[in-house]
Amino acid sequence: MFKRTWNPYLAGALAGILLILSVWISGKFFGTSTTFVRVAAVVEESIGIDTSANAYFTAKKGKYGASSLPDWQLMFVIGALLGAFISSRLSGDFKIQLVPDMWRKRFGPSPVKRGVTAFFGGVIALFGARLAGG
Amino acid sequence: MSLGYGLITGILFGILLQKAQVLRYDKQIGAMRFIDMTIFKFMLSSIIVSAIGLYLLKDAGLIKMSIKGTSIGGQLLGGSLFGIGWGLLGYCPGTAVGAVGEGRLDGLWGIFGMLCGAALYAETYPFMKAKVITLGNYGKLTLPQALGISHWLVIVVFALITLVMFYLFEKKKL
Repeated sequence: MFKRTWNPYLAGALAGILLILSVWISGKFFGTSTTFVRVAAVVEESIGIDTSANAYFTAKKGKYGASSLPDWQLMFVIGALLGAFISSRLSGDFKIQLVPDMWRKRFGPSPVKRGVTAFFGGVIALFGARLAGG
Repeated sequence: MSLGYGLITGILFGILLQKAQVLRYDKQIGAMRFIDMTIFKFMLSSIIVSAIGLYLLKDAGLIKMSIKGTSIGGQLLGGSLFGIGWGLLGYCPGTAVGAVGEGRLDGLWGIFGMLCGAALYAETYPFMKAKVITLGNYGKLTLPQALGISHWLVIVVFALITLVMFYLFEKKKL
């Protein structure tokens, strides 16, 4: 736990075992993108947008709607954030960074440029993921 | 109960992602540029191990698979868009969250963007469902079903291809 890095093959194999156990014990496969949909529904509701007529948020008996939270996957996503925090703090790997090294070398140190690109990248990535069924 | 399992599973998964260094922009973009295959080593190892374990459990009747529908239109267009977005953001949805956990706060912009992307998809869903997902829609289909062969044959072939890839990654020090 205090080591900075583990062999990626070993860490990947352990993640595979974790998935097997999760499906076996609680019937849950790993995923995150559905949580973005559910949180988006909650955010829309909280700013006064009625999602009760939206075909997507009401699809599959409201599986993607605001009322589906909290659920297993939301906790899984929060857990992943906590796990990364705990792991990086224990090994001294935690570091606040707004512009990744590779980005900085190519596009410079501006956090705004990086932030805008990351934002629009996120819009396109999640739209695509949902279209593809992921 | 289910919420507790979700949290514990997430924490363990987050630790593994962090230790494997896959929560980094440089590693994700490094894989797309074919200069650092760390994330492929992690993902493919995970896929082989879980494929074997999950199909053993399925054959024993202990679990049920959760298979996504195959839609050539949805997956071709959605996958391409996902690739463009992933290349711009440098994190996938799960790793963007994990990246924030280890202090890479550019992941937060990605998270805000992904929430907007989700809302945008919800608005366009009726159109996508009617016009795009219907293109080449095969329903819940797996590769062994499509080929009419045992899933173990598919798993063994996939595992062999992956092992050759691992050998090449190490040989070329990627």
